[in-house]
Amino acid sequence: MSTHTTNGKYGFLIDVTHCIDCRACNVACSVQNEVSMDSTRIWMNGTGVVGKYPDLQSFTAPFHCMHCNDPSCASACTVGALTRDHDGIVRYDEDRCIGCRYCIYACPFQVPNMDLNETMPLIVKCDMCGDRLDEGEQPACAATCPPGAIQFGRREDMLAEANRLINENPGKYIHHIYGEHENGGTSTFYISPVPFEELGFPIPGATSSAYYNRLVTHGTPAVFGAAAVSLSGIYLTIKNVQEETAEEARAAVIRSAQAAESARAAERAAATEEEA
Amino acid sequence: MQKKIIDELRDMPKFVYVLAMLVAFGGAVGIYRLYAGLGATTNLSKAYPWGIWISFDLSTVALSGGAFTLAALVYVFHMHNLHAAVRPTVLAGLLGYTSVLIILFMDLGRWDRAYHFLIYPNLNSALFEVSWCIALYSSILVYELSPVLLQNTKWKGAIPVLEKYTVPMVIAGVSLSTLHQSSLGTLFIVMSARLHPLWHSMLLPIFFLISSLASGLALIIAGATVSRWVFKRSLPQKLIAKLGWFLPWILGVYLVLKLGELEVTDELHYLFTSGKYSVLFISELVFGMIIPIIMFSRKEVRHSRNASMIGAFFVMAGVVLNRFNASWFAIQPLQGVEAYKPHWMEVAILVGVASGVFLAYTLIGRYFPLFDETIKIDEPKHAPKLIAATE
Repeated sequence: MSTHTTNGKYGFLIDVTHCIDCRACNVACSVQNEVSMDSTRIWMNGTGVVGKYPDLQSFTAPFHCMHCNDPSCASACTVGALTRDHDGIVRYDEDRCIGCRYCIYACPFQVPNMDLNETMPLIVKCDMCGDRLDEGEQPACAATCPPGAIQFGRREDMLAEANRLINENPGKYIHHIYGEHENGGTSTFYISPVPFEELGFPIPGATSSAYYNRLVTHGTPAVFGAAAVSLSGIYLTIKNVQEETAEEARAAVIRSAQAAESARAAERAAATEEEA
Repeated sequence: MQKKIIDELRDMPKFVYVLAMLVAFGGAVGIYRLYAGLGATTNLSKAYPWGIWISFDLSTVALSGGAFTLAALVYVFHMHNLHAAVRPTVLAGLLGYTSVLIILFMDLGRWDRAYHFLIYPNLNSALFEVSWCIALYSSILVYELSPVLLQNTKWKGAIPVLEKYTVPMVIAGVSLSTLHQSSLGTLFIVMSARLHPLWHSMLLPIFFLISSLASGLALIIAGATVSRWVFKRSLPQKLIAKLGWFLPWILGVYLVLKLGELEVTDELHYLFTSGKYSVLFISELVFGMIIPIIMFSRKEVRHSRNASMIGAFFVMAGVVLNRFNASWFAIQPLQGVEAYKPHWMEVAILVGVASGVFLAYTLIGRYFPLFDETIKIDEPKHAPKLIAATE
């Protein structure tokens, strides 16, 4: 039970300065994974148009599952349908899911989705195009991105590249790699010229909420044991005390009866003596 | 036979028919919900995946806490003079949990796989733990209630055998309740990103456990008065006063912990600076804790049937508000998303299930020896049999 987790094998690096809001990644994802276009596995976040004419600016970035090192969704999922595999991919087993939607609330990045208009809805979320990775291909979004804003590769390479870009281009990016520490670290990194809250990104803390969750849920057997043992102890103690008190009371009654009896016997003896 | 049934139905109080109609309507909407899906019948969304159903579940479990609190007092702490309240309270608990199970079933997107929590464990998940505890504890409540159901049947020979194991079963039940009452609070720990800091706390499991003790006792107190109106049976005011005596202590600990936690985590400033959240939180403190603490500290309140009932309603309202806050009102909105408001079908299903609880309670109270040890209010001479054969 610690905050220490291993880093994933793969990683994304998304450069906000390169994104042109063409949404080819959204199309590629929906074709690859047979999901509808908007707000399913991947969607766009952005600043909207900001600034004063003629210096107008707009920044956008695609957003999908961050693939946390210590995913909150997996910690929450009632039936273990969400798990992080040995490559660091947070996967979803749609045959297990019961549709309780706890993962939607648990995820600090608001990633898991569910189309509630389906009669038998399931969670929809990015799985890094695991099937494509098995065939040695890049995820559909990264493979498609026309301006090359989405890079994909080994996680440590992506992190090194993010640091290199920030250090070699002073003034171009803010000094923050989004995803490096968010929610305990993830496998998706963003570099941006504007603060991430302006892009509409959620801002979670540096420790995964899954860690805090485990702190409590792992205490469950201990709480149950302590409750059962102390309740049994209380029951037996009070029972013994009550039995002892009752026993003493009975003994006192018997003693006084005996005393009365012997007193009467003595009286009788005295009376017979007198008669005699 | 037919005539007997008709006479029996004629003899029923009118509200029974109203309840039955609400149950039928709620049931029909419930079947439609299962057939049509959540999108067509609820206002749940990605931004608000949980709604009034979860708030209802949390509140009902907290109120049903009366069953485990009382069982612990009577069987574990040997306060046998409270025994008269056991049967009515256990039935209230069992019906409460049953309604929670029904609503949870309605809430599952994949209700066809509801049994999956039995075969696919995730030991990190508070919801997994809660599901198991509620399932097991409901079975224990059936066990605790079984003497009432069997007493006037040909299986009544089983009662002495069942009662032999009451104490171990009660201890298991109280331990399970400790777990799931607190785990319902744990549920929200992982939701730190969405729950307002006035409510989000690492102490949530402890808050939920303590407040369930208070609302459970309050339910017994209020229930005694309501059952006086409906069944003309109640508990002696001496017992109600005894239960009320616990409330200021429990609520006092709850109040101190709640404020103390805010102070320690440096969140006390939210108390007056969070707009509607401040109002909700202070309402909980004032109406759910401070007023009842003052009321039940006074002997004349504890010994007055009506004043006790009013105080108990404050406690229950405070805890119910707390559960609604944690799961609905204090969930912070997402940008550009309209706040959740329940769909009428969500409410209809809830009303149907709640009516079912009251209907079942009324009917069981009518046909089973539920109030055997309670006193008949119209005949004060009828002395209560306080100490039953429990040993």
